[in-house]
Amino acid sequence: MENKQSSSPASFVDSTVVPGDVVLDLSSMTSQTIKLGGGLRQDCDAISAMKAGTLRFSKPNKYWIESSQKRYVPCVEDTILGIVVDSKADNFLIDIKGPAMGFLPVLAFEGGTRRNIPKFEVGTLLYLRVVKANSGMNPELSCTDASGKAAEFGPLKDGYMFETSTGLSRKLLSSPTCPVLEALGKKLSFEIAVGLNGRVWVNAASPDTIVVVANAIMNSESLSGAQQIIMVDHLLKNIQ
Amino acid sequence: MDARLANTWRLTLNEKNFIKTALLSEIRIDGRKPFEFRNISINFGREDGSAEVQLGQTRVMGIVTAKFVQPYRDRPNEGTLTIYPEFSPMADPSFEAGRSGESAVELGRIIDRGLRESRAVDTESLCIVAGKLVWAIRIDILILDNGGDLVDAANIAALAALMTFRTPECSLGGEDGQEVIIHPPEMRDPLPLILHHLPIAITFGFFIDENVVVIDPIHNEEAVMAGRMIATVNANGDICAIQKAGEGVSQRVIMQCLQLAITKAADITKQIKAAVEAYNSERALQKIKRETTCVGNSVKGDQNQTLDNKGISELVGKYMERLKLISVESYASQNINAEEIKSLRRGTDSNCIKFNSTPLSWDPYSKGVDLECLKASVASQGLSTASEEKEASGQEKGSEAESACPYEDVNSKWSAVDASTTEMHVIGPKTLKDAVKPKNKRKKKVSSMI
Repeated sequence: MENKQSSSPASFVDSTVVPGDVVLDLSSMTSQTIKLGGGLRQDCDAISAMKAGTLRFSKPNKYWIESSQKRYVPCVEDTILGIVVDSKADNFLIDIKGPAMGFLPVLAFEGGTRRNIPKFEVGTLLYLRVVKANSGMNPELSCTDASGKAAEFGPLKDGYMFETSTGLSRKLLSSPTCPVLEALGKKLSFEIAVGLNGRVWVNAASPDTIVVVANAIMNSESLSGAQQIIMVDHLLKNIQ
Repeated sequence: MDARLANTWRLTLNEKNFIKTALLSEIRIDGRKPFEFRNISINFGREDGSAEVQLGQTRVMGIVTAKFVQPYRDRPNEGTLTIYPEFSPMADPSFEAGRSGESAVELGRIIDRGLRESRAVDTESLCIVAGKLVWAIRIDILILDNGGDLVDAANIAALAALMTFRTPECSLGGEDGQEVIIHPPEMRDPLPLILHHLPIAITFGFFIDENVVVIDPIHNEEAVMAGRMIATVNANGDICAIQKAGEGVSQRVIMQCLQLAITKAADITKQIKAAVEAYNSERALQKIKRETTCVGNSVKGDQNQTLDNKGISELVGKYMERLKLISVESYASQNINAEEIKSLRRGTDSNCIKFNSTPLSWDPYSKGVDLECLKASVASQGLSTASEEKEASGQEKGSEAESACPYEDVNSKWSAVDASTTEMHVIGPKTLKDAVKPKNKRKKKVSSMI
């Protein structure tokens, strides 16, 4: 399964690493192509960690480091939730919980032309996709998918938005479905949009459903799968 | 500039609308009812007068310190009380380091009004020399995390810190009676501040619809609410201060809120008092342990050659010396502090229990006591380890001859004792014996039980 390192007795996969740890020794692996994801760096034959987090591996050859923060570092092709802060001639300025504001071009909508530029009030919540994310530059966003269709991107109406850590939003989007969402979905009906930048939007018919869902998700941050199910049962019992 | 713009916390329209619509059905976004307070937890620091309060996600720390100042001219026999709020930038992205904005000033002012104008803190007891020297109490309030409702949390922190703060005891003395002597905490227990009552601040949030009122708003609700009222009340039903901002509210609603505030204040007062009680009893226990160990350290410093047994008996001897000194002083100066005696007695009990394995060769009149007396005292206590005793006391006597000031100081104060120390042990002047006797009896009881 995993390639055993000759230098270290145990593999680092799925264990916590800190910056500076050498997690892979390439001299033991010859004629293989390895794909390195976020948080890893190559120094000749050694792959070392740059972020603190858990080292993950996915077959056949992908390695990356997963960590959870409160702030977001923009990555291309991430789907995020942004808040409109200002509108300029060419772009909307969007707050994405990152180091810099995101730019949403006014034409980046399905069938967008100079004549039908949408008007967004300050404080509108949008579901967006990151198109360009270079460090030092403001990231560029879009309300269409790669082929130009709307595909559910755009403003979100009603509902309630709350903030989480980036790790929790990744868990919520993972497949198979996160236990907390499954347990909630069995009893309640609601609509949910998860942004990888640590924002979650929930909508349902009645306010108390929304409140229960929001609080259940916020509480599930540090719980394991089984604990999440127990917590959700507990919350739902108190409501009904 | 761009970074600050990117880091500001923003409220979406969705949140605003949702908070308002949910409140119409009496639902709050954290699941509380409109008139429910969040959980309060109060923790104390190592020093007297420091408290940290957590109200849900809000965290505030209150620290009380005191120093000597000259009083104001128009109030020559009152101490002063000042509040310094500090909004740390780690609490909220909108707080800036250094001089913080009007909300900090407002918070300080509300707490100040609650404490000063309701005369909660007795400032006249802070006077040492009228017109010249008074205590100036300084309360520092540090906001560590802003989860909404800072004023309430800061007020509780200030009260908890004031209740656990102790000033060292001062007395006038010296040649002309004008010198102020500050007694260190080891000699005299520091004094607590006198608080007549506890003014508790309760914050109410008003929204556009008049019937919607919430208590203890979290910071999302604070951003959405239209008006706010902070009522400082105490458990007796007195209204100490009111601060109102924002939208107008009818009189009926205000009266309802004040009634509610009084009931909530009673709850919170109970919680604060319970936390302070628990802290005080823990401190009292620690103080006894501290007294015994600190004496042990000084003894070991003096004599390096002592064996364990001897060391411990020395320790006991020295401890009893100190106890005698304190008890003599307290009797002499007619300043009997019942608490103190109790703590000393408790100390002796624990002391006895600690050292029950060694012969109790303690001897209050150590210098110049001969072996016979010692043997007599030991025999009278009913211990059968006389021979060990002899050896131990012999060496003890020898090394004690070398020992420095403490013994001499102790003995010099007892002018009556110098005459005949040996006789003292048997007969002795009444004052000292009376002081000693209760402890003797107690020790005998315990030793016989062993």
